[in-house]
Amino acid sequence: MIELDQVTKRFDGRSQVTALTDVSLTINRGEMVAVVGPSGSGKSTFLNLVGALDRATSGVVRVDGEPLGGLSEDALTRLRRDKIGFIFQFFNLLPTLTCLENVALPLHLRGWSRKRVSARAGELLSLVGLADRMTHLPEELSGGQRQRVAIARALSIHPPILLADEPTGNLDSRTGTDILALLHDLHSTTGSTVVIVTHDDGVARSCERTISLRDGRVVEDTKNASRVDAVAAS
Amino acid sequence: MILLRLISWPYFRKHLLRTALTTAGIVLGVAVFVGMHTANQTVLLSFSQTVDRIAGKTQLQVSAGEAGFGEEVLDLVQSASTVRVGVPIIEVVVDSNIPGEGNLLVLGVDMTGDRSLRDYDLEGGGDAEIDDPLIFLAQPDSLILSKELADRHHIAVGSRLPLGTSGGQRTFTVRGIIKSTGLASAFGGNIAIMDIYAAQHMFGRGRTFDRIDIAMKPGVTLTDCQRELHALIGSGFDVQPPSGRGQQFESMLASYSLMVSISSAFALFIGMFIIYNSFSIAVTERRAEIGILRAIGATRGQIRWIFLGESAAIGLIGSVAGLAFGVLMARGIAFGIGALISDVYRVGQTVDAMAISPGLLALSLAIGVATSVVAAAIPAQNAARLDPIQALQKGRYHVLSAGESRVRIAAAAVLALFSAITLTVASTSRPLFYAGYLSAMLAALLLVPLLTLGLAKTFRPLLQWLRPVEGALAADSLIQAPRRTSASVAALMFSLALAVAFEGMGLSNYSSMVDWMDSVLNPDLFVLPSQSFDIRAARFPATMASEIAAVPGVDRVQMLRNGRTTFRGAPVMVIALEMSSIAQTIHRRPVAGEAGDMYRRAAAGEGLVLSDNFAELQHLRLGDQVEIAAPYGVIRLPVVGILVDYSDQQGAIMIDRTLFIKYWHDDSVNMFRVYTRPDADALAVRTHLLERFAGQRQVFVLTNAELKTYILGVLGQWFRLTSIQIGVAVLVAILGIINTLTVSIKDRRRELGVLRVVGALHWQVRRTIWIEALSVGAFGLILGSALGALNLYYVLQIVHRDVTGMRLAYQFPLMTVVALVPTIIVAALVAALWPAESAVRGSLVEALAYE
Repeated sequence: MIELDQVTKRFDGRSQVTALTDVSLTINRGEMVAVVGPSGSGKSTFLNLVGALDRATSGVVRVDGEPLGGLSEDALTRLRRDKIGFIFQFFNLLPTLTCLENVALPLHLRGWSRKRVSARAGELLSLVGLADRMTHLPEELSGGQRQRVAIARALSIHPPILLADEPTGNLDSRTGTDILALLHDLHSTTGSTVVIVTHDDGVARSCERTISLRDGRVVEDTKNASRVDAVAAS
Repeated sequence: MILLRLISWPYFRKHLLRTALTTAGIVLGVAVFVGMHTANQTVLLSFSQTVDRIAGKTQLQVSAGEAGFGEEVLDLVQSASTVRVGVPIIEVVVDSNIPGEGNLLVLGVDMTGDRSLRDYDLEGGGDAEIDDPLIFLAQPDSLILSKELADRHHIAVGSRLPLGTSGGQRTFTVRGIIKSTGLASAFGGNIAIMDIYAAQHMFGRGRTFDRIDIAMKPGVTLTDCQRELHALIGSGFDVQPPSGRGQQFESMLASYSLMVSISSAFALFIGMFIIYNSFSIAVTERRAEIGILRAIGATRGQIRWIFLGESAAIGLIGSVAGLAFGVLMARGIAFGIGALISDVYRVGQTVDAMAISPGLLALSLAIGVATSVVAAAIPAQNAARLDPIQALQKGRYHVLSAGESRVRIAAAAVLALFSAITLTVASTSRPLFYAGYLSAMLAALLLVPLLTLGLAKTFRPLLQWLRPVEGALAADSLIQAPRRTSASVAALMFSLALAVAFEGMGLSNYSSMVDWMDSVLNPDLFVLPSQSFDIRAARFPATMASEIAAVPGVDRVQMLRNGRTTFRGAPVMVIALEMSSIAQTIHRRPVAGEAGDMYRRAAAGEGLVLSDNFAELQHLRLGDQVEIAAPYGVIRLPVVGILVDYSDQQGAIMIDRTLFIKYWHDDSVNMFRVYTRPDADALAVRTHLLERFAGQRQVFVLTNAELKTYILGVLGQWFRLTSIQIGVAVLVAILGIINTLTVSIKDRRRELGVLRVVGALHWQVRRTIWIEALSVGAFGLILGSALGALNLYYVLQIVHRDVTGMRLAYQFPLMTVVALVPTIIVAALVAALWPAESAVRGSLVEALAYE
């Protein structure tokens, strides 16, 4: 589903910074993967490249078999729109739109009819347990509720890939656990490929596989046997 | 200064476009101020230069309005003990018939006596270039031309030049070339000199002169000479130094000067908004920087001075550029106005040198810098007041607090109430009226942020319905930041309010004029001695009336004689009519007086009828005794009626024709008003008339519709200035919208990033920016139209009270507003081009990380 082949990402400024160096790995369809590592290890850069938010300096990133390097900006947008759902640490909900409108956003952008958009957005908010908060603005919700809205938005287009950047990083531990459980539920019901960038060992242990980065390189890539227990424990 | 270099310079360097746009606000304001005033001064200077150059050594001039006076006056003047030299003059402006040259000022002079007042510096020296002085004087077709004009068109002695005269087109022979200095440099060199008696003959002046130029004996004062001349020739004559003509000319420019003053004030006001907007934005953006500076020890005063110093620097740079643009702009306007004055008033007026006044430039520079500093004062004060901790916090800075909204509403209500009171209770007080005008504008200004917010909220459902994502987000952006949007909306609002008011004034003028023409200009045909309605120099003899009456199909003929004279130093048009006949054909209710009584007394020579605007300007009422100085006595008669009349901007006094003949000794006619019989075809009668006078004299016959079209065409020229104002409005729209959007995009960077992450294609992101731009334009247009409606009321009041005295019917220029819709849409889209591109160009990763 996701393939990185000798991917390097450098940032050119007054001094050149290499965020990822020769990273090669494959994430299979339906896997739930945690990407861990200390600050500056290249986790976010990895997620940005996989999410088609940024371009690799060298090497090839493939999503669903399609190499991203040659795609135009609009083609990358279409790929994100059709195949990738994003969940951010700070939710990135649009503050002036209601929960329903936030969830409806990607659907409107795809040109769905208003009726279909409304039905789908309502269905998703019910799925994440916010059926009674549809007309609320983000600022009227708790952190956990906001993240649920963000998850509903990410799921709105049935994406085969779900990318989460520290999804519990801005939440208290109880709410974080709820969100993690929700992600696991969605993963098992939708079969999406889920990649979670996290600092949290508990979150990492809950995933089937953990990829550890350090100084822009993959230093460890392990399968977790007892992930369900880990979820429960966290 | 060190703070400016360390803190301000890097900021400006980083935001070059914004700095340029901010500076453009001042450039615009100063350019319009300098351009308009320089053009005005240039036109006035050109006129006084023409007067001076023609005047030569003349110290006093004797005149009696446009009608002129009999030759016997010359003998009286020359007999005065204080007069050394007195020479007669005839001055006529005619079409040069030379392509690209426009009008020619023809001076009829007495060559033998005139040289003691004016230098005739002839090419080749002496009289050599006048091929034969005796022929020159003896041949009425002789002309002397300026070398400048002759060179431009390869005209030499012996060349022939066709000119319009009272007897039709006549061919003149160039018999001399005069060097282009002094006299010959007047009127841009478009000057021709001929013998005065030939001029009398050619231009139908009979035995009259237009003016006598005088040089006094040594040691005589102007006052002594004026006193003696008045005693000799009567008080009906103007005896003034040549400079006195400039004052009359200034009053002709009154309407234009009004537009100049209002336009300049609005332009500076608009420039102030652009600066205010930019500095408010800069203070918001630089909160963290201000916080750090305050934390490390900068005082409030130092923070304030950073912003004031920046505004002064921008003001200075913008003003210098504005001066340059203004002078360029002035050139175009001055040429246009000069040509218009020359065409409409037939006065020797052409622009050949710009009147660039160092005083005006210095004043403009000072006003530009002061405007910039004043505009930045509030943002600078806000920056200085920022608490270091508060400054370092993140938050929304463009919102309006409920408290501020209440204060704005309260202040606007007080100002609006005061404005309303001034219109009713204190309507007669000029200072109160203008204070009320200013209050109304300030009230509108205070309400702009609230109105912008209200409009954005009102429009949101519509925009969301049109485009669920892009429309809603654009509306939300405006709702979230009314302060960011409102300064641009305010600038656009004021700019459009001015354009709407000027267009409205033109339309009101037009509408009132059409209404007046329909009732007053009701003859079927008009017989004129010249193609131009305004050339009063060419006239018919009174005997022609019976000849016209005898033409088949003619039912009634009315003679009209008009000429400008002065009343209390101001120009006024005297219109001599056959009042008893007019009473039977014109049925208009007077503003004051009773129609039957008015015409009866006027026809009996027992009273004067005044135009409404003249009565207003001179504060004259029904029954007031009016004195008009005429060449052959002073007319002292009561006002027997006041009529709405648009014959002349400076007003008109209508008298019976018998009075004119008595006091001016002139029975000639400027125009015959011809009514055809009910069964006659007007066009056929016109043909009969033309045939009747063919080969005898030059006659132009206009139909009713043709004359009205001509008058409205001349009127339309006065309001071309409106197009400049609309151009300024478009510029303001572009500048303001670019500024607002640039900041909006910065504020919405994360939001736009999210939009792109969740699937918005480039064109979808662009569309939200375009919708925001169009909304700013639409709000400016809505508020500008509303304020324009009020502004138009005030402008018409100013015209009525202080300019021409005309009572113009209020006509809102709806079609102009409709035409402004696509103009502002295009301006908004043009303004949004660059910001929309910048919205889709940035790095997504950085946008998402942006806080």
